[in-house]
Amino acid sequence: MPGRTLLERQIAKSTKNDGAIDYVLLKRLVAEAYNDKELDRRRADRASRLVAEELEDALGNLEVQNLRFKAALDNMAQGLALFDADGRLAVCNRRYAEILELPTFPCCLGAKIDQILDASGALAKANDMERRLLSIEIEFADRKRTTSIEQVWPDGRTISMVRTPVADGGFLDTLSDISEARQSEARLAHLARHDALTDLPNRVMFRERLVQAIHETERQHTSAVLCLDLDRFKAVNDTLGHPIGDALLVAVGQRLRRLVRDADLVARLGGDEFAIIQRLLPTAAVPEALARRIIGVLSDPYEINGHRIQIGVSVGIERIVDSRVNPDEILRNADLALYQAKTQGGAYCLFEPAMHAHAAKRRQLELDLRTALDSGRIEVHYQPQVDIRTGMVIGLEALARWRHPDRGLVPPSDFIPLSEEVGLIDRLGTFALQRACADASIWPASISVAVNLSALQFRSGRLVGIVEDALRESGLAPERLELEVTEGVMLLNSSSAFQQLRQIKRLGVRISLDDFGTGYSSLSYIRNFPFDKVKIDQSFVRELGTSPDSLAIIRAVAGMCTSLGIATTAEGVETDAQLEILGKEHCDSVQGFLFGKAMPASELPALFDRAPFAQAA
Amino acid sequence: MWVRSLRQTETGKWSLHDDAPVRTPDLILLFGPTDGMRASSAPAQLAEQFPDTIQVGCSTGTSVDGVVLSDEALSAVAIGFDATRIKLATQTLTDANLSRAAGEEIGNRLAAPDLSAVFVLSEGLGVNGSKLVEGLSAACGQGVAISGGLAGDGQRFSDTLVTVGGKAVPGCVAAIGFYGFAIRIGHGSAGGWDEFGPLRKITRSDGNILLELDGKPALDLYERYLGDEAALLPASALFYPLKIWDPAHPEDAVVRTVLSIDREARTMTFAGDIPAGWSSRLMRGSLDRLTEGAAQAARSAREAISDANVEVGLCLFVSCVGRRLLMGQRAEEEVEAVANVLGKLTPIAGFYSYGEIARNYHSGGSCLHNQTVTLTLLAEAA
Repeated sequence: MPGRTLLERQIAKSTKNDGAIDYVLLKRLVAEAYNDKELDRRRADRASRLVAEELEDALGNLEVQNLRFKAALDNMAQGLALFDADGRLAVCNRRYAEILELPTFPCCLGAKIDQILDASGALAKANDMERRLLSIEIEFADRKRTTSIEQVWPDGRTISMVRTPVADGGFLDTLSDISEARQSEARLAHLARHDALTDLPNRVMFRERLVQAIHETERQHTSAVLCLDLDRFKAVNDTLGHPIGDALLVAVGQRLRRLVRDADLVARLGGDEFAIIQRLLPTAAVPEALARRIIGVLSDPYEINGHRIQIGVSVGIERIVDSRVNPDEILRNADLALYQAKTQGGAYCLFEPAMHAHAAKRRQLELDLRTALDSGRIEVHYQPQVDIRTGMVIGLEALARWRHPDRGLVPPSDFIPLSEEVGLIDRLGTFALQRACADASIWPASISVAVNLSALQFRSGRLVGIVEDALRESGLAPERLELEVTEGVMLLNSSSAFQQLRQIKRLGVRISLDDFGTGYSSLSYIRNFPFDKVKIDQSFVRELGTSPDSLAIIRAVAGMCTSLGIATTAEGVETDAQLEILGKEHCDSVQGFLFGKAMPASELPALFDRAPFAQAA
Repeated sequence: MWVRSLRQTETGKWSLHDDAPVRTPDLILLFGPTDGMRASSAPAQLAEQFPDTIQVGCSTGTSVDGVVLSDEALSAVAIGFDATRIKLATQTLTDANLSRAAGEEIGNRLAAPDLSAVFVLSEGLGVNGSKLVEGLSAACGQGVAISGGLAGDGQRFSDTLVTVGGKAVPGCVAAIGFYGFAIRIGHGSAGGWDEFGPLRKITRSDGNILLELDGKPALDLYERYLGDEAALLPASALFYPLKIWDPAHPEDAVVRTVLSIDREARTMTFAGDIPAGWSSRLMRGSLDRLTEGAAQAARSAREAISDANVEVGLCLFVSCVGRRLLMGQRAEEEVEAVANVLGKLTPIAGFYSYGEIARNYHSGGSCLHNQTVTLTLLAEAA
């Protein structure tokens, strides 16, 4: 049933009870209705306009937002790709296309991931098989939970991908090129396990491989550790400087590497210490053969920056045959063998259990020596030096003696090298100097005292002060003190050592060159420093009369010294015949058992009181 | 059951429309303009003439009597039941925040095993209609159909009232309970408004006070859309109802209308809650779609009385003042649309309200509606 029209209702409302129409009312109703209609139209217009404006604003904002979003995406360091629930690419940034080397960015929108990987220029550089493996790993990475994978791509880049599920059922992939990070990690890992100078494995890696080698013995694979120590390396460093020393170490490393097989390991443990792990030994003799080759090859001269350098090497060897040993023990054993080899000079030595006992003994000796220095068990004895023409005692050489509670009197040859090795030589040397000066101060003024200096005593740079103190405290006239140095000091070739010697000489103290004739015995030493005296080594004197060479040497040295105004003393004179010859060869003074062994200071007064010794004819 | 319109004669006496001799009515409902209800002697006269009849009424900008709308006249309808018992419960609201408690209190007084339905008329401005219905439902039980409306005041939004027994009671909520197994109730509620414009987020609110949409004062938006008609706020805000919904449950959207505004604080107070975080969209109406909405409400209500043979005794018509404002003289078309669905002989009585109450067939519970035509059909089974 259709409703009445508006006009019908307006007329009905305007019809009075008597049926007449109230036209005023009708007109008002009609006008109101038109007004309502007009208002409604205006409202509709306004609303449409405002909504359009709002939508335009919103679209504008959205566009700005999109531009910002795009700028942010395209400036990300990572590649980003968002795939929808159907697995189709919805959004990706420029970096994603760059990493994958996609030719069609941004036109690959809508593509599935396998299509994108097929289009990737980066993956195309791999062979078919490799490409398929890489693609499959990416394509089938879990889409339901956060997953991360890392791949090395055919161009060498390391790429990390993180896949995260998103709320609409799709997923988000981010790609990062982490090659640099991985390279620096690898570099750091390499540095941690290699020596920066030679690029050889360092102690850390050496130890790892050593542990591995020990494990291998369970499979009947025996190995050996060779510990190496360069001889005379320190002299090279001191004389030619550290850059040359470093270059020498590099050269040594290269020679060593050429001497071993790929399975072996050459490491630099520090300083001039190298070590080798020789693996899978076919026979027990192999390490010794290698040691011989090493000694031969490393002893060949090196040409570095125009310097011709020759060094030697000592090798200690320990075999690894038992998986129960610990690596420290192996290394300690090889070191002991090396120590043994070093005492022989330029040799190799296999570890033997007795070395432990020897080392233990040495350690005990060191302890004892410290105690001896603390408790005054070191004594100074004196051996007379006699004027060859007058037979008068003109001087006494101070010689340290150690009175050991169990071992009796220990000779200097047993404990001086030890004290040098363990750093006690400064104390020992200073003690001997002070003692000798103090003793000599009460001797007849015509008698001087000679004290030996170790080359190591020049290292601290305080030697001049020590000599001054000893003279001042004892009141001994400087010209009655004579300091004996060996050619070891000359070999230091250090300006500091020469400077100290000159300063001591300026004090009035005399300087003599000891043990001349042994070692290099270069005449240039005598030219380089104004020695007051040269002491001819006892080995020549002992052979006088049997070896014509010895006589020739003595004659040459004595003659040269005479012409240079340098006094000579011959050591080790034991017979009248030797004395006779030395007299003829114009030696100035003599020393040896013929005139007395080294004696305690308490026995000296008797010596001073006796008649002159027989004179050389 | 029987239903008759009541007419006030020139002597001031009320008479039944057809003067037919009938039993004393059980219930008289009265609707009329606020001033008329308060000032005239008509309600009191009615009470005097029918002392044994329960009488309730409310103010409205426009009352509905059959298919005729009137902004001036008081309209009353008398109802007699054959097998249905009714009971009145009232409660005075002193604070809108106590709306739920008032609902519960009334519900508790009406509750009974054979309570079938409740028709409620409430003070229209000082009430939170959502809370009132919540309280009623909680006390009566979900099985009891609750319907009714909030008293209106046309586009003035200044003064509403509820009458009980011929007297205007300030801040009153009056509810009639229908008891027994003969009574049949059918509810229908529909809007017909169309959403438009962008989706807006409710970013700040406090209970039923809306502060911001998309981070900007909501009142700014309304003023912009209303233009010159912003001067008529809050009534003119009814041209643009607000549809709101919880983003997690978009199917449970509700429509809210404005009760008042605060130009200083830039806030708008709505007839129900406006939760922050919910989504919202402006709505607007077109005459045809609103009229079709009314027809839809009538169809739903008729269908809800499942027994097609039962004759509908009365259609209680509660429609939103916003529809009246927008449709003007053509508001009668929505009443006619209802009459067309129900049949010309079905009596219709009602009013334009500040909020409609009816069962929501989607959620099953009763709740407050806005901007709808809400119909309560009463019938008695033989």
